[in-house]
Formats: sequence, C-alpha cells, structure tokens
Amino acid sequence: MNKPTGADVRFLMGNEAIGRGIIESGCTLAAAYPGTPSSEVLESLVRWKRELNHPIYLEWSINEKVAFEIAYGASLSGARSVAIMKMVGLNVASDPFLSAAYLGVRGGLVVVVADDPGPHSSQTEQDSRFFGWFAKVPVLDPGTPAEAREMVMQAFELSEKYEVPVLLRPCLRVCHARQNVAITTPRAPADVGPFKKDWTRWAAIPRFRLVLHRQLNEKLAKMREEEPAARPVLICGDSRGATAVVTSGSVSSHVRDVVTANGALAGVDVYKVDLPFPAHAEALQQIADRYDRTLVVEETYPVLELQLRDRRKVLGRLSGTVPEQGELVPELVEDIILNVVGADRPARDAPTIKARRPSLCPGCPHRPAFYAIRKVFDRAIYSGDIGCYTLGINMGAVDTCLCMGSSVGMAGGLARGGSSERDTRVVATIGDSTFYHAGVPALINAVHTRTPMVLVIMDNNITAMTGGQPTPASDQLADGSPAVPIDMERLVRGTGVESLEVVDPYDHESMRGALEKARRHSFDEAGGVSVVIARRPCVRMRNVTMPSTRFQVDENCDLCMSCIRDLECPAFRYEKAEKKIEIDADICAGCGFCVQVCPSQAIKATGA
Amino acid sequence: MVELILCGRGGQGIVFLTKLIGEIATSKGLRVITSETHGMAVRGGSINSHVRIGPFYSPLVRPGQAGFLVSLESAETPNNAHYLTPDGILVENSPLPAEPRVFRCDAAGLARDLGRTQLENVVLLAFATMVGGFPISVEELRSRLAGDPREQVRTMNLRAMDAGVKAAKSSAAC
Ligand code: SF4
Ligand code: SF4
Repeated sequence: MNKPTGADVRFLMGNEAIGRGIIESGCTLAAAYPGTPSSEVLESLVRWKRELNHPIYLEWSINEKVAFEIAYGASLSGARSVAIMKMVGLNVASDPFLSAAYLGVRGGLVVVVADDPGPHSSQTEQDSRFFGWFAKVPVLDPGTPAEAREMVMQAFELSEKYEVPVLLRPCLRVCHARQNVAITTPRAPADVGPFKKDWTRWAAIPRFRLVLHRQLNEKLAKMREEEPAARPVLICGDSRGATAVVTSGSVSSHVRDVVTANGALAGVDVYKVDLPFPAHAEALQQIADRYDRTLVVEETYPVLELQLRDRRKVLGRLSGTVPEQGELVPELVEDIILNVVGADRPARDAPTIKARRPSLCPGCPHRPAFYAIRKVFDRAIYSGDIGCYTLGINMGAVDTCLCMGSSVGMAGGLARGGSSERDTRVVATIGDSTFYHAGVPALINAVHTRTPMVLVIMDNNITAMTGGQPTPASDQLADGSPAVPIDMERLVRGTGVESLEVVDPYDHESMRGALEKARRHSFDEAGGVSVVIARRPCVRMRNVTMPSTRFQVDENCDLCMSCIRDLECPAFRYEKAEKKIEIDADICAGCGFCVQVCPSQAIKATGA
Repeated sequence: MVELILCGRGGQGIVFLTKLIGEIATSKGLRVITSETHGMAVRGGSINSHVRIGPFYSPLVRPGQAGFLVSLESAETPNNAHYLTPDGILVENSPLPAEPRVFRCDAAGLARDLGRTQLENVVLLAFATMVGGFPISVEELRSRLAGDPREQVRTMNLRAMDAGVKAAKSSAAC
C-alpha cells in the first residue's frame, strides 16, 4: 500500500492510475474504444503523454475488435501494447481475443476491461474474469486505484513471461474511485525484437491450433502453480478464526473495511486473490477445508467459488448466500457477513425519494430530431441504439435498445416480422460514433436486402455519452496529431443508399421535410433504406457557445403540457401550486426550440 | 477520519469539488479515497460523490457513517440524508433558514449575482469550510484555487469562494 507522502503522490482516478501504470511500464501503443467506466484510461494517457513528452502511440479505434487487433499486432512486432474497453466491448472483441490466447504474444499485451456491477451504465453485469476463464486468458483483479497501477506492471510481466495476453479487470468502483497514488519514473519502451515469421504459430491452421491449445493449457497450469498472485493472501485477521471470507477485486476493499470497522466481525479472516483466474485451486480448497465456513464474496459471477471442488462448507452465490445480481455495496457486504457469523444486522435508513432520471441536455440537438420523428412517424417502431440518444425513451421516441449498432440490424427484422402495415414501419436512430462502430455493416446489409426503413443518424460530431471522444470524422487523433477525417455522406452513399438528406435538427421545417421525404421513399415509393443525417454539434463540446436569450411562458399557455411531455426539456417545470409552467433560466440553454413547438404560441423570449 | 457525501444533479460540478477536497487532503499527506458518478446519470440525473479521509480501502460510505452531507440541490437531499451519522451535519444549497445541524446558503443565488450560476459549487464548498469540523479549511481551499493557472477561472473561483465565506460569516449559525 502506498504511503501518501513525498512529492510523487498524486490524487488519481483509478482510470488515471491505470494510464500511469501503462506509461510507467514502457508501453508503446494503446488503442481503445470509449465506454463507461473505462473511457478515462486513454484520456489520461493523452495527458501523461503530454506531461512526460512520451512517444507512446494512442488511438481511439473505430471499435473494440479493431482496438484489440491493433494492440495484438504491436505485440507481435515486439512492443508492449494495451487495448482498453468496457466489458460489453470485450464481447465485440471476443473473436480475436479468444484466438490470441492460443497464438500467444511476443511483446507484453494487456487488455484492460472495465466491469460495471449494478449495472450503472451498461447493458449487462457480465464478469470479465469469467470471460477470461472462458478464453483461457489470465485475469488480474485490482481492489483500489493504487493497486490497479501496480497490477498493470505485473500484467505486462506475466504476459511476457508466459507469452499470453493478460486481462486487467477493474470494476467501476476502482475505475471511478480516486485515491492518493505513488507514481514513479516510466521505464524506457520495452522491445522483445522484431517480428519473426513463423506461420505455424502466427497463422496457424487447425492442426497447429491443437498444439497451441495444449501449450496454452500448460502455461496456465504453470502459472497457477508458480505465481504467488494465484494464491489467496490473508489481508484481515490472524488465520485462527472460524469463518473465512475469500474475495477479489474492488469488492475486497469493501470486505476489508467492514471487517476492520465492525467489532462483531473481529474474528473473521479475509483472504484476497489477485489472480482469480487461474487461481490456485488447492490453496483455496485448503482454506475451505480448514475453516468451519468459508464465504466467497466476489463480483459478479462465482469465479473463485467454482474453482473450489468441495463446496460443502462454502457459502456464496451458488449456495444462495450472496445475491446473484446487483452490485455488492459495502452495507450489503456487511449484512451478508454478519448473517454468516450469526450476528445481528444494524437497522439502516434508506433514501426517502426516488432518484431523478437523466434527460437529454437542455439545447441538445437530439431533442428536436426526436420531436420531429414523433410528429412525422406517429405509429412507427422506433429502433434505438446506445448513446445519449437512448434517452429518447423519455420522449417516447426509442422503443428498443439492444447493443451497439443494433438499431440498424434489428430494423431488418422488425420490418419483416410484423403482420400489419402498422407494425412494419421502422425508424431507426443511431449516433455518429455508434454508426461507425457497428452500424456500417448493418447498413450495407439493409441496403442490399432492400429493407424498408428510415435511418436517422444523429451526428453531433463526437462520442458524447462517454465524455466527448473524437470519432473517425475528426481530423485529429486522440493526442491531437493529424488524422484523415472520414466523410459520413460519402460513406453512406458508398453503401448504396439512394435517398440521403443532411439537415440541421434546429431547423424544424427542414428536419420535418427531410423525414417526410424519407417516409415517402421508404414506405410509399421505392421502398428500401433512406437515411437522414441530423447534424449539429453536441452542446457540451468546448467550441459550442449557446445564445444567452432566455424564455418565459405567457398567459396564452393553456396547460396542454406538450412542452413537458413531448419536448421534455429539463428547464421546464410545472408549478403545481400556481398551476403554471415555468422555465428555469439557470437550466435553459437558449436554443429557442420550445418557441417553435408550443401549440399556443405562449413561449416568448424574456424582454421581447 | 471523516467521511462525507456530496450530492446534487448531473452538471452541477460535484466531481470538481470531489477532486478539490481529495487534492487538498493529498497535499496535507492524508490518506483519502473517493467515488463519483459518471455515465448516463450525469445528464441531469441524481448523482453523488463519496469522500473518505482515513485508512480506508473502499471508496464507498456506508449509510449512517457520513459526518457531512454537502447538497448542491435541496431536492436531492432526501436521496442522501441516510448516509449521515445521527449527529451528522447537512450543508445545503438553499435560501431557507438554518436549523439544528443544518447549515444553508443560497449558493445558486450568490453565483447568479456573480454572473455564473455554475459557480454555485465553489460558493457552497467555501461556505462548508466555515462549518466546524469540516475536514478542509478555508485557507487550504483558497491556496488551492489560487494555484489555478487559468487566470479567468482563478479569479471567478476566488470570487465565488469569497461570496461563500461572506455568507457563512453573516449567518449566525456558523
Ligand atoms: S451530451 Fe451532447 S449529445 Fe449528450 S445529451 Fe447532452 S447535448 Fe445531447
Ligand atoms: S430555449 Fe426552450 S427548449 Fe431550449 S433549452 Fe431553453 S427552455 Fe429548453
């Protein structure tokens, strides 16, 4: 544990600490696709690169599969490299990830995959440690930001020693925790020598894959046997208690703190495993055999628990002692352990209100785009996608949201699965970054198969949800060096789309006109795909300045509630007591869209 | 050893305050660990930050353990009041009068007077530093804000800070 003294201690977010660990390890290349809770790793690398004048190559890749392949390529040419993503990104990258485990690596290859128990900002609660097991890739599981930084270096060493990719799995409570972290001077970029041709390894056909699979199994067996990180380490207690807790990762920090703080848990021994796969199963079993009871507390799947062969005295997810879903927050961890040792749980107060739901920002260009979609296609199925614009659900303009790019793919089935005309009109919405990520192949498919659908690409020129990372349309790479901007119109035209309109969603008339034209094309005339690009920068981008005009509701308002229900701008409030609609001038962004849509023309600029 | 919660709505600058407190604690040589909200919720949803100063590993405060709750949005207070210890102190962005163990400051109004509503976070933090037992002092906050290299940001933050301190001095409760 680092001591927060001296000049080299910084207050760092877990993701920044991971970025620091990457730089300090002599890494040559980092490729990432943004996704909460992982995005700040590459963002921090941009800052470390600048601060240290470091030569590391950084990129926001088009998607996680490409990011992984780029990192893998760098490893084969001898460099240390890293790919960074959130856990659902690993699903996208799974094809090269599983194959790379067999082929192995040359320069150290670390894959940082951030998990989101809860889930707070994700589609699933999948456990990347389990994914590592499935892929036969070793997994390090940090408990704090400071430990995450150290584990990055450990991961590179393990990767080079065993010639395998190594997965670092920080959970949200490590990624978005901040802590004082001791840092050191980066080592020089590592290099294991230039790429050596050997097709039986790097382009192995199935016959050689069998050999490689055996080698991989041998590597894992050796690692399990020889690496201290694979064994449980006592972090609380004197190993003489009756109850043991076995834990790993960020939840181990909750366990450590509640056992330390709660006198009723004084006799509990806590063991932490840094490398939950491949864990030293015999050492775990010895704990289970020796104690009266052993509780396994881990997020989110029973990875350590399943590596125990005799579970008769083991409590965990498989025994129903630990809930099978949801985040293990400290108070829940405390209750579970108290229950296991037979102590009383403390009475706890809970929040007395429901959490406020998120909304599109005031002035967000997606709002008028969704508004127009609702007006022009009043009965369609709205196939949505992943990004800020998923919040179109608040406006009744998003009906489905499956995964990155699925709005376009699902539209092909939604359009063909229904029986009446009413069920088969599909309007898909997708953001620019998500479109590049996984929408393009789906669009080619839709054009080729003459899918009758309207696709609205909500192009705000940025990956907004995750904090504003550049897309392939940017003329700059992550660190500001020059890039070739990809032209979205040419890309869409290149897929064979015949009906394409580009509009500013703030221009309500043109937006409506473009959607009506698309409707005629796709549903009344030619059929097939039509695309509308609704283009306007995200209001959160640095270079966007919003008007200072503010608005108020006058006596023409008949309380139709359209502004609150259909427009859903967070600046609007219904004052129950006064039976009045108010616009909060502190929240309003001055976009003026509400003026255009109020049916009673009751919204005027203040002072006008 | 002290634990606190900062709460409000996405976009109010809670992460900025969390970083300020953490950096000040770090420069004092204290161990500190915090947790914050990112992702979808920051689009105007309910958010909070947890701050734990002391020998902690977990970044999360358990209910009933926080010495202070700093609430930038009074409507969010009921979402977070359960984190307070029975004698914990609430510091709230609100024009209403103070109550026992509840200190209030119209930070939004004061920030509006300064011409930038977004400064309400700094106003309220400065006000909080004047409450007895708060883990960072007004001098520490001042020297941190004065160290910002961007001149305009520095000036505005210091003005916001002064407004918060002044409000605390004129409120008999502090
Ligand atoms: S961040 Fe940008 S895209 Fe996201 S809701 Fe706000 S304005 Fe819209
Ligand atoms: S002008 Fe109207 S729609 Fe635009 S942000 Fe202000 S209140 Fe909302």
